[in-house]
Amino acid sequence: MCLLAIGLTAFADTSLKGRVLDEATQLPLVGAKVLLANQNISTTTNGDGEFQLQYLDAMDEEVIVEANGYMVELVLVNLRENQSNEMEPVVLKQDLVSQQQDEILLNLTEEEMADDEGRSQAQASTASASTDVFNSTTSFAWSTARYRNRGYRQTEESYYIEGLNFSSQERGQFNYSAMGGLNDASRYKEVLNPMEASNFTFGGIGQSTNYLMGATRYAQGWKVGVAGTNRNYKARLNATYSSGLMDNGWAVTAQLAYRFSPYINQKGIIGEGCNYYSLGYFLTAERVWENSRLKLITFGAPTQRGQNAAVTQEVYDLTGTIYYNPYWGYQNGHVRNSRIVKSYDPTFIAAYEWKIDENQRLKAAAGYHYSMYSNSALNYYCAPDPRPDYYRNLPSAMWDAQIANPYYDTNADQLYDKNGNPYGWGLFIGEDMNTIEMGSGYTAADGNLVGPSINQAAYDRQVSLWKTRDDKATQIDWNNLYAANYANNLNNGVARYFLERRHNDIQEATASFNYQNTKYDHLKMTLGVEGRFSQGIHYKTIDDLLGAKTWVDIDAFADRDIKELASNSGFTQSDIEYVIQNDLYNPNKSIGTGERFGYDYRINMGHLAAWFQNEWTFNEVDLYYALALEYNSMQRTSHMFNGRQAYLATIAYQRGTMYLGDDVDQYRQARSTYYGNTHHFVDPSFKAGVVYKINGRNRLKLNALAETRAPYARDSYISQRIHDRVLDEIYTHDKAKNLKDFYAASEKVVSTDLTYEFNYPIVRGRVTGFFTQSWDGTELNGYYDDEARTFVNQAMAEIDKRYMGVEAALAVKLGNYFTLTGVASVGDYRYTSDATSITSAENGMPMTQDLATKELIFEVRDKVLLKGLRLSTGPQVNASLKLSFFHSKMWFADLTVNYHDWNYLSVAPSRRMQGLFTGTRTDGTAVNGWFGDSYSNAIQTTDSRESHAEIDENGNATYSANTVLDGNGVPVLKYPYNIMTMQESLASTNPLYRFTIDASVGKLLYLPNRQSLSINLSVTNLTNNTHFKTGGYQQARLPRAVRQGQPDYQNSVITANAWKYPSKYYYAWGINFFLTVTYKF
Amino acid sequence: MRKSIYTYAMLLAMPVIAIMTSCEPSALEPEQVLQLAGEQLEEALKNDNPEGYTIYNFNDLMDKFMTEPGNFMSDSSQYRTRTHYGNLYLFSVDTLPTNGPGIYIRGRVGTDDYGGNFYKSLVLQQVNDWMDNEKPIEQQCLRVSVDLGSANGQYPQGQEILIRCNGLAIGRYANEPQLCIPTYNNNIYANSASEKVGWAAGRIPSSVFRKVTFLIGTPDKGKLVFEKMTLAQLKAKYTNDAMSKDVVAARKIDGRLVKITGVHFNGKCNNNGDMVSLVKYDPETNEGNPEVKDSYAAVFAPTTGNIGYPQSRYVEDDDKNKILIGASEYARYAYYYIPSKKHVGSITGVLGYYMDNPKYAPDATNWSITPCNLGDILPECQREGMNPRWVPTEWKAGVPQPEDD
Repeated sequence: MCLLAIGLTAFADTSLKGRVLDEATQLPLVGAKVLLANQNISTTTNGDGEFQLQYLDAMDEEVIVEANGYMVELVLVNLRENQSNEMEPVVLKQDLVSQQQDEILLNLTEEEMADDEGRSQAQASTASASTDVFNSTTSFAWSTARYRNRGYRQTEESYYIEGLNFSSQERGQFNYSAMGGLNDASRYKEVLNPMEASNFTFGGIGQSTNYLMGATRYAQGWKVGVAGTNRNYKARLNATYSSGLMDNGWAVTAQLAYRFSPYINQKGIIGEGCNYYSLGYFLTAERVWENSRLKLITFGAPTQRGQNAAVTQEVYDLTGTIYYNPYWGYQNGHVRNSRIVKSYDPTFIAAYEWKIDENQRLKAAAGYHYSMYSNSALNYYCAPDPRPDYYRNLPSAMWDAQIANPYYDTNADQLYDKNGNPYGWGLFIGEDMNTIEMGSGYTAADGNLVGPSINQAAYDRQVSLWKTRDDKATQIDWNNLYAANYANNLNNGVARYFLERRHNDIQEATASFNYQNTKYDHLKMTLGVEGRFSQGIHYKTIDDLLGAKTWVDIDAFADRDIKELASNSGFTQSDIEYVIQNDLYNPNKSIGTGERFGYDYRINMGHLAAWFQNEWTFNEVDLYYALALEYNSMQRTSHMFNGRQAYLATIAYQRGTMYLGDDVDQYRQARSTYYGNTHHFVDPSFKAGVVYKINGRNRLKLNALAETRAPYARDSYISQRIHDRVLDEIYTHDKAKNLKDFYAASEKVVSTDLTYEFNYPIVRGRVTGFFTQSWDGTELNGYYDDEARTFVNQAMAEIDKRYMGVEAALAVKLGNYFTLTGVASVGDYRYTSDATSITSAENGMPMTQDLATKELIFEVRDKVLLKGLRLSTGPQVNASLKLSFFHSKMWFADLTVNYHDWNYLSVAPSRRMQGLFTGTRTDGTAVNGWFGDSYSNAIQTTDSRESHAEIDENGNATYSANTVLDGNGVPVLKYPYNIMTMQESLASTNPLYRFTIDASVGKLLYLPNRQSLSINLSVTNLTNNTHFKTGGYQQARLPRAVRQGQPDYQNSVITANAWKYPSKYYYAWGINFFLTVTYKF
Repeated sequence: MRKSIYTYAMLLAMPVIAIMTSCEPSALEPEQVLQLAGEQLEEALKNDNPEGYTIYNFNDLMDKFMTEPGNFMSDSSQYRTRTHYGNLYLFSVDTLPTNGPGIYIRGRVGTDDYGGNFYKSLVLQQVNDWMDNEKPIEQQCLRVSVDLGSANGQYPQGQEILIRCNGLAIGRYANEPQLCIPTYNNNIYANSASEKVGWAAGRIPSSVFRKVTFLIGTPDKGKLVFEKMTLAQLKAKYTNDAMSKDVVAARKIDGRLVKITGVHFNGKCNNNGDMVSLVKYDPETNEGNPEVKDSYAAVFAPTTGNIGYPQSRYVEDDDKNKILIGASEYARYAYYYIPSKKHVGSITGVLGYYMDNPKYAPDATNWSITPCNLGDILPECQREGMNPRWVPTEWKAGVPQPEDD
């Protein structure tokens, strides 16, 4: 630090001018943040890297200059009163570490895009561009643990490109794969902390990010790089060229990035059975005039990549690796993955900025993108399930409810544990699979009974197949699938197995206007308007018939499931022939490779929003408020008329439900497109904040927000592949005659945070407390239901959530070379209410039957007991200590130790239905199959029920006559007294495994003629901790068994086998590295 | 210039197209997936079995390895109850040696589970040269119990397969022999559970079965031989009283593929050994069965409330010879009305004698034929133009049974 000489010019007020340059290229840096530490005033550099601050106090001042991808620079200046002070150019050094971390993060988030079933790990928050100590440290350090800022899902964050909203209108997520590998293109961005005043959007309770892609932002010259990694791809080639601002007023920047990995033909390593090919391109041209500029931007990254899956702990234990991937197998000796994602999101943007005068600026932008996202998956018909990790293929299936039953003869059939102690049979069956030493079994007193229901030799053999990773048993046997199809070609040629591709495309046209006015002293007014039309496009195609001649367009699930229950559900075989059709206009259509089948529908969404913001800036206090009003609409249209919808429509009149829109007659006419009802929503938002500047180095910030939000289309339809039926709350909204009903479907949110921020030359940081409460959220889940014996959709509404916690960051400079940074976040994110739900079978069959009236029930309505459960949005306790090293000869290094805790399994709503606990659903229907009813048989006795009764708050044993007990007389879940103990923690029981260590080292070499060479190595999870669960979910499928002698729908009981459908987990990768070499010239 | 732009556009588009198109291994040709045949097969077997191997015919396999009461449990009371008839055990299991010379069987899949009448089981017909002989030797069949739903998807009817039996078991379930493994059933969800608790022949785990089973050639239903005979011939050869009381001999008859001709349904079922009319009692004519209350009684297999036992309907010929036609309540045709007496034709299926109930002395009335699909039942009568034509009709609640014309 030094007190820089500055030029002076007599002026009416005290001001400061300056310029920020890149050290390597000596070119101006655009968008760098310049902050006067003592006066707490900031600005950003313009297209020429220049900045100017006016109305300053004359004093010795610290100028802090920050820019994405660069080291922070601190400069001392003496501001002379009533002078125009001009600084020497501030030269920023590149921060290789953060640049590389950006790239890794981009890659990580792209990889974890939710699949078409909406199931994926939580994506890490990625606001790495922020110069905030907390965000800049945590975004990378905690990404391994899938940390989410404040516990919010990604839908709470908004993503913009040049002021255009690019978060999906259908799902609320940002498509990272659109810019996969384009690390340079996506380098410059504004990151808005939750609820703070913003230039480009109204914002929300989560962070908002605006990518800035004008060509003048990029340093002139070439940049080429290679990278190697052992992550999901193995190598990357990258080239970027920027012309800089040319004499003709144009600047052009282009980037090409190719990332690739052939199929990984090695078991037990990261990415086994996966491949990766991606070519990213980016082209931006910017024309600069005196008072305006025009930016034309296009980019895309066609990508193809194999996926892997979460599996049960049993599979991890058997295979001995956290990298086991059930999605692949050998095809004639070559690796082939069944889940190949193909994504390509060509994007076009035109953005115009006009400096109307000194006080007024107008930005207008328009964009269009067509996001193609598809995933392949195996489908099968009249053939065994091809998934190697299908539960029947696992050793645990051999334990299924078949363990010796001491109920009949306890003495003879007593089981013993490994220590020779008698095993209480109730406990035995409820044992966690994790503690079972696979293949060991348990020996009974007579020496013959073992745990599994099959003989020990056969059981051991099955275990051995898994432990040795036998190709036929533990991977997809592609040859076998072909063989099945070729065999059937001699019959009817219809595929037994085929690879389908599920397309979830979306096209969006969007436009925005942003007007800023600083005409009045201390006041900045911003007005924003944005409009968007989006169309979600959903359909399936045949990817590969695997040797078969054709596929016939019927719903294989419907055919498979309904036939068994036909008599009880009122279906005849001829009904089934009708119901299973995917398109009644083209029944039994023969489908070839590349043709559409299954479903083909659109979700049309409109969006119009206007927001207004006033910001006042004074010496001691800054104030702002903002108002927004949003209009959203959604409508489903379908190009197919499936038999389930038609069937349900026939009963709709009886039940008053709406599987079709108002215009039911449309279906009676053969037409190519059916238009469903349009649902309209209008939602207001309000936010305000105040900054109190205690002094130049200390400040307090208080923000608050209140808003309502329309539901996302994805969560609005209870079975959108099949029909138009939306949540009850949306029907209430549609017919609203009062305000309460009008907002019945909208989520209501209030949020506030309070921050203390300090900034000294040696130490800086902040502490923030936050609180958010939301009401009436919606969520959709799909799963296979054992009772209905088919795939069902469960739409939940009226979900209340609360997020509260504290986050803190402290960075201390230790001498000239080292900085020690500590960050921590402790949160409490949980459901604060139960939810309502509608569960319905996707194949159109009844879910169950009213035991009293015998009426078939197609939609099961019940409460989901969520209250008090933690949200599964990553760890809620996080801490890091990071030691950074920087030497002026451009050596970089850092070492980070991370700790994560309070990470919880995602709960399956189906396991928490009220009816399971009380015997009666909220719709008044009785739950079938609970124990203790008039159909009780030898399964259960009163004695065993009482011995396992729940303990109430007063310590008294109690049980409801309708409590559902498992086969051992244990209540399935003990709500609500010990509800928290029932949600599984993902944190390892060994505290050491809750730590991870990351390190990186880099060197930047300056070469003659403004050339440079940089080398950087980043190593994540240095200690190779392979015990770190990052996420997981309960399988929604409940283990049930058929009670003999009862008619269907009255015969289903929850079985004793707690392992039958165990939870699935995601693990953090073990040690992995990313090495980059970049040459600039 | 235009050409140049076009060229550059193509150059840019090519890698995009290349990435978005498939990078998968090339498709397999039929000859690449159909495993083992002829000399290849012999070579593979030699390589896999350094101690030698034997491909047993089914009867030899049973003769060599099937014992009374079964080698798996030294204490025969550990087998499920109803285990024996006299000194003969109906639910015993013999495990086959895990090590040593290879033990193989080779057969052609004779059943099809699409119709829902067979579940997690295959019936194999012995493959040898007997079909081509002028004087064919007796067919041999064996059930294979495998924990694989829709097993015919991978092992279709007519497919020849080779199974390495080492480590598996040969057992009996209700006296029906089958390749299996020993499984323990606590049957806690069943009525009368205590009768069924214990070890018995059970399903081979799917992953193990896939590992030990090899496909040979392509499926050829035409090579299956369904013994065509009248009921009288069937009775004379297989299901006579003497044979029925010879429980050991019955094991080698079980599973045979037969086609009986000249039969019709007589409107009666087997109810615990008694022949009971399925026709609802009509007070006006005083005919029918007063016990029949449900309108669906005269279908092939009304629900059992998931107890899951097969249900049987009698067919008979003009000489009143009878046999049962079995159907599962999960069969696709379970709720089709049985055809009336006037429809006379053939029925194709698997011959069996499910001997799980020693309360009744074995006799000829307990044999059954289990068809795979509706098409196996009076196919001649289902054909257009055949007279009297049977149009299979399904029961529907509230709709009276249509006149069977």
